[in-house]
Amino acid sequence: MKQEVILSVKDLHVKFRLRGRELYAIRNVSLDVYKGESLAIVGESGSGKSVFTKTFMGLLDANGYIPSGEILYEGQDLAKLTREKDWQKIRGGEIAMIMQDPMTSLNPLKSIGEQIAEAIRLHQDIRGADRVRARVMDYLRDVGISEPERRYKQYAHEFSGGMRQRVVIAIALACNPKILICDEPTTALDVTIQAQIIRLLKELKEKYHLTIVFITHDLGVVANIADRVAVMYAGDFIEVGMAEEIFYDPKHPYTWALLSSLPQLGQRGEELFTIQGTPPSLFKEIRGDAFAPRNPRALKIDYLKEPPYFQVSPTHKAKTWLLDPRAPKVDPPEAIRNLKNLEVVYR
Amino acid sequence: MSAAGENRERMTPAADREVLLDVQDLHVTFGKGKKAFEAVRGVSFQVYKGETFGIVGESGSGKTTIGRAIMRIHPVSGGSIRYKGEQINGKISRELDRKVIKEIQMIFQDPMASLNERAKVDYIISEGLMNLNRNMSAAERAEKVEQALADVGLLPEFSSRFPHEFSGGQRQRIGIARALIMEPECIIADEPISALDVSIRAQVLNLLAGLQKRKHITYIFIAHDLSVMRYFTDRIAVIHKGRVVELAGTEELIGHAMHPYTKALLSAIPMPDPVHEREKELIVYDPAIHDYEKKPPVWMEVRSGHYLFANEEEAAAWNE
Repeated sequence: MKQEVILSVKDLHVKFRLRGRELYAIRNVSLDVYKGESLAIVGESGSGKSVFTKTFMGLLDANGYIPSGEILYEGQDLAKLTREKDWQKIRGGEIAMIMQDPMTSLNPLKSIGEQIAEAIRLHQDIRGADRVRARVMDYLRDVGISEPERRYKQYAHEFSGGMRQRVVIAIALACNPKILICDEPTTALDVTIQAQIIRLLKELKEKYHLTIVFITHDLGVVANIADRVAVMYAGDFIEVGMAEEIFYDPKHPYTWALLSSLPQLGQRGEELFTIQGTPPSLFKEIRGDAFAPRNPRALKIDYLKEPPYFQVSPTHKAKTWLLDPRAPKVDPPEAIRNLKNLEVVYR
Repeated sequence: MSAAGENRERMTPAADREVLLDVQDLHVTFGKGKKAFEAVRGVSFQVYKGETFGIVGESGSGKTTIGRAIMRIHPVSGGSIRYKGEQINGKISRELDRKVIKEIQMIFQDPMASLNERAKVDYIISEGLMNLNRNMSAAERAEKVEQALADVGLLPEFSSRFPHEFSGGQRQRIGIARALIMEPECIIADEPISALDVSIRAQVLNLLAGLQKRKHITYIFIAHDLSVMRYFTDRIAVIHKGRVVELAGTEELIGHAMHPYTKALLSAIPMPDPVHEREKELIVYDPAIHDYEKKPPVWMEVRSGHYLFANEEEAAAWNE
């Protein structure tokens, strides 16, 4: 089955000018996003996952620019857009974003009903105060906010963290987007609320036929929501595959490391696995495999030559020399070899 | 086996273990009159010397308030807190106050917000020490700061830098060094890893576990995430709306959870297993299921060392 591509990124580079130096944030990245899928982008802080998705909406900081590359969306190259007027047509109506912290993304001076109504008036063809108001109620119900009549008039400070994130989601929906980017939407929330928000996003994805791009640093969170996972390291996707492939058959040592460090896998009385060292400085040129200096079992060639993508299956590819036929056989760490049988621990 | 494992072995005969902290019927109320809000409503538990005691619950459950009440940051409105047999809430003597300050320390959640931005690391770490002992010589102080930095895996030259020069994980290490320099018996860690990246979380947890092994510190570990608790704690108290609803040894609590709220917390743990995750049913706790009008709940021991806040009928049904 060939899936329809909704957004196609080709050979994208992103750089930032910082005090006379250049920070190379996204290094020659290509990725297709399929219509109706939920794609998770996973990486540590500073890996470039947020920067990558900000380019879809023209939200790079003023010192950031795209030296080369294409972002194709409905026949249009978003990387070439410069005028604010053109971006206004993309933002919200085509691609909408949910930010990490619902405390800071809502307007404290406007009732939440008004904030949702504002998005409807800007992006949808609904006129008349009563009809807009009725539509706001629909969205509030859809995101699981009870008593919408009363909640309409309330302000952000009267909502709990989880409820605020629901409001933010309602505003994004009211823009009527095709792609919804969720940038760490649950990091600031409790586990119970996080699970509920993820369930909500899955329901809304079906109802509104959304394509979801989910950004997170926590691989544990994405097993539930992601159809496909792209692992980012130092501004590049080092492994991309279906969720089952990434969790049950990961190939890149960095993906192994990310999985191994999950506290869920910790055994009492034993040390948790940690990734040694720090990510490479993006001010400097990166030679070979960017993860090699932190990989205790790196091969000699990892320091010399950047690995190409090796295709594992039609949907799974990874950038590691371990997949080269000439490479020695290295098994993934013991702890992550059998993730399918984990539920035994938690019933 | 390491210290955490040994602790668990030692736990079994509870009677002969030394109680470090004894909290009985603790109440904490904010505000007065009609606006009064009772954040902690009759909480009792004991923390044994050398163990890691977990307090788990969602935001607003009162778990942080309990920690702060022990630290004497919030005044209590009822009940008692005893440390090594001495009452430490309410009016206490100056000597006891100093002793409590020295021996019970706290690690905070957000290392970006909990360190003084305008002070150098040297000052941040040694501030508490200087407050307690004003006659300490500069050389002695520098030595202690260096030792505290080494304990948390930071270099001595970091002492002359400012907090903004450090990453989140390093800042949390500074926060831990600040507590360690007092040579505390007990550390209250309030969500010490929630604000950190997954890869950094593991480092900080290992550090805390290693310190406990070397220095025999008792931890009260406050978090909202039971998956971390399972790895890190010996016993867990589950708190909901200011009440402890279930308390048991870690393996017992996770293996035989009874209270529906505990089950909801367990079902919310995200597991790195896509097939299982997609099929799993999320349990959402609804307090309306309890019929407490006629049969009020009581605090009872349902299995050895496993306590539950429920009425007789519920306890019988849940203990199937």
